[in-house]
Amino acid sequence: MAKPRVNVNFFRPSTLGMRQEVGIVTTVLAIWATLSFGLPLLIWLAGLADPTGMGRSFLTQSRFLGFPLHYWLIAQGCTIGYVLLCKLYCTLWDRRIARTRLAPPPGSRGQR
Amino acid sequence: MMSRQLLTLSLTLVAVFGATGTLWGAGEEIYQVEQGFKLVPALIMLASLVLYLGVGFLSKVSTPSGYWVAGQGIGKYGNGAAIASDWMSAASFMGVAGLLYLRGWFGLGYIIGWTGGYVLLLCLLATQLRRFGKFTIPEFLGDRYDCHSVRLIAAVVTVLIAITYATAQFKGIGLICGWIFGMSYQASVFFAAGVVLTYMLISGMTGVTRNQQIQYVVLISAFLVPLWILIEKAGGTGLLPQFEYGGILSGLMDGRVSAAAGGQLSGDQLMEATKVFLPWGSGGNIYHFIALVFTLMIGTAGLPHILIRFYTVKNEDVARKSVLWGLFFIGLLYWSSPVYAVMGKFWNPLGGKEVADVIILSAPERAGLGNAFLGYLAAGALAAGISTVAGLLVAGASAVAHDWYATVFKPDCTDRQALFVGRIFTAVLCIIIILTALNPPALIAQMVAMAFAIAGNTIFPACVLAIWYSKANRYGALAGMIFGLAMTLIAMAGWVMRIPIFGDNGLLPATSSSLVVAPLAFLINIVVSNLTQDRVSEESRLRMDNILRKLHNFPGHEAEPPARPAPSSASAPPAV
Repeated sequence: MAKPRVNVNFFRPSTLGMRQEVGIVTTVLAIWATLSFGLPLLIWLAGLADPTGMGRSFLTQSRFLGFPLHYWLIAQGCTIGYVLLCKLYCTLWDRRIARTRLAPPPGSRGQR
Repeated sequence: MMSRQLLTLSLTLVAVFGATGTLWGAGEEIYQVEQGFKLVPALIMLASLVLYLGVGFLSKVSTPSGYWVAGQGIGKYGNGAAIASDWMSAASFMGVAGLLYLRGWFGLGYIIGWTGGYVLLLCLLATQLRRFGKFTIPEFLGDRYDCHSVRLIAAVVTVLIAITYATAQFKGIGLICGWIFGMSYQASVFFAAGVVLTYMLISGMTGVTRNQQIQYVVLISAFLVPLWILIEKAGGTGLLPQFEYGGILSGLMDGRVSAAAGGQLSGDQLMEATKVFLPWGSGGNIYHFIALVFTLMIGTAGLPHILIRFYTVKNEDVARKSVLWGLFFIGLLYWSSPVYAVMGKFWNPLGGKEVADVIILSAPERAGLGNAFLGYLAAGALAAGISTVAGLLVAGASAVAHDWYATVFKPDCTDRQALFVGRIFTAVLCIIIILTALNPPALIAQMVAMAFAIAGNTIFPACVLAIWYSKANRYGALAGMIFGLAMTLIAMAGWVMRIPIFGDNGLLPATSSSLVVAPLAFLINIVVSNLTQDRVSEESRLRMDNILRKLHNFPGHEAEPPARPAPSSASAPPAV
């Protein structure tokens, strides 16, 4: 009668389905973190040499689509990136579902 | 609705004062908006209100089975637009451009914070919340942790956030009513409260989503159209303003401004114009930037009235895709806000807060778009604000009526009673919000930022662990949530008392406290949960496991005893 305990741990996914889910999530979040925190850190590192402390660097001096690069990277690079990331997540998820449907690994969706 | 939110910091205070009358006189001449009653905008605005009410009324008649049925037929575009309209309030409509005007590059932290949060939300929460499929976040946390104390803390947090946000909405509403009707701030608070209540009374909670779609279209079109004209006036080709303003921005950094503002700046003025667009030129450093971004992101992903959106869609697939579309629709606004800010700088490079505050109204006025268009714009912004206030009222009232009264206090009450309590509480909340808005605590802007910090420090860690860590139990959740809430409140108190460490440039800025506090809240939840594994009873364990099976589509899930359907007035998502 006693059912097995449910075991869910993001870092130790217990079933195949969950391993795939976690794989998708970590991929997307890795890119998300790079955009959200990597880019500002890059701009900060590049600007450390500016004696006035305002962060002037090659990133603020170069131009991209007419924008100062450091401004474009955050204002549009990051935000467009987020929308694409959501798209990526949905695509990966759909693909996973399609694969599972084509070849349902026996018992793979059950808990262990 | 949220968006509203945003209200943005430093601007609000000014706004509140501005609304009492000092603002309009203080604007720079180019940017001053005209005062007094304006017939055409007033008519347009009234017409749009009638339209919303009419749609709400018709939708109600056509779907007597209520909001939930109607809501569950909503597809990915529709729900995406509703999410976007949920997020965008009068305050963000008005405030973000002003913030970017004042803070330049640093202000972009708000934009990525408020968009990047949706990626987190999509990856970690959206699918599972849809699978849970009940009505409110306190309900989710209370059921998952099988604990009424957790439910009540979540309910209290929801009410706190509702009051804070709704109060902040009155800044934008005050500005707009002041502009259209020449009303004072006090008068516009009562006016808006009256409209909100009428709206809720007539349309009930149905027709909400359809209305949100209309509101989104009005909002975003009003927001975008002036940009083409503005960019042309500034010498661009007017093809795609969101990409074209880059040239003007680069020019600004070299001191090139409009002829009206002097053509070419030099000396100190050049310095002023340049430095605001340099990374650290308007104050703050890398730590503050990242702390701000992180706090806004996990706050966005932890706001109860955003999370609740996923309960209303057809299935989890639509839940995921509507985040994608919602974010795209929100992106349209945030890709355009900087254009207003840069245009503002171009014509008025050295303006202060007074200029920043009214930039959305004054820029189209400057572009010669005429009163009819401005009326349309104001109608969109006002609708955003009013729908937000109404929606927050529902969110707050449902936390009390559904999660406290009908679940904890009097589980055997009838639906009628729960509905009655919901209505009473809607009115009570409305009165509280009116009182707060009439007499805003000096720190109204910080209160809004606090809403994000509270959500990020309490709701977000509790929700993520609820879904992704089966060992998390009620003791861990309680410890983590109480710690998060307490730390947020301590940081706020510290800010009020001007203790440097909690100040804007301190180590733990009150409005950006999550970078430090949220990871600790996660850790506390995990550690305490592990220490107290033995104290959880077997029945409780089974109930928690059952919820987890549902969240992750594991086999063996047993339907819970039929849950009481939330009374309709208390269960609908916040945005109306």
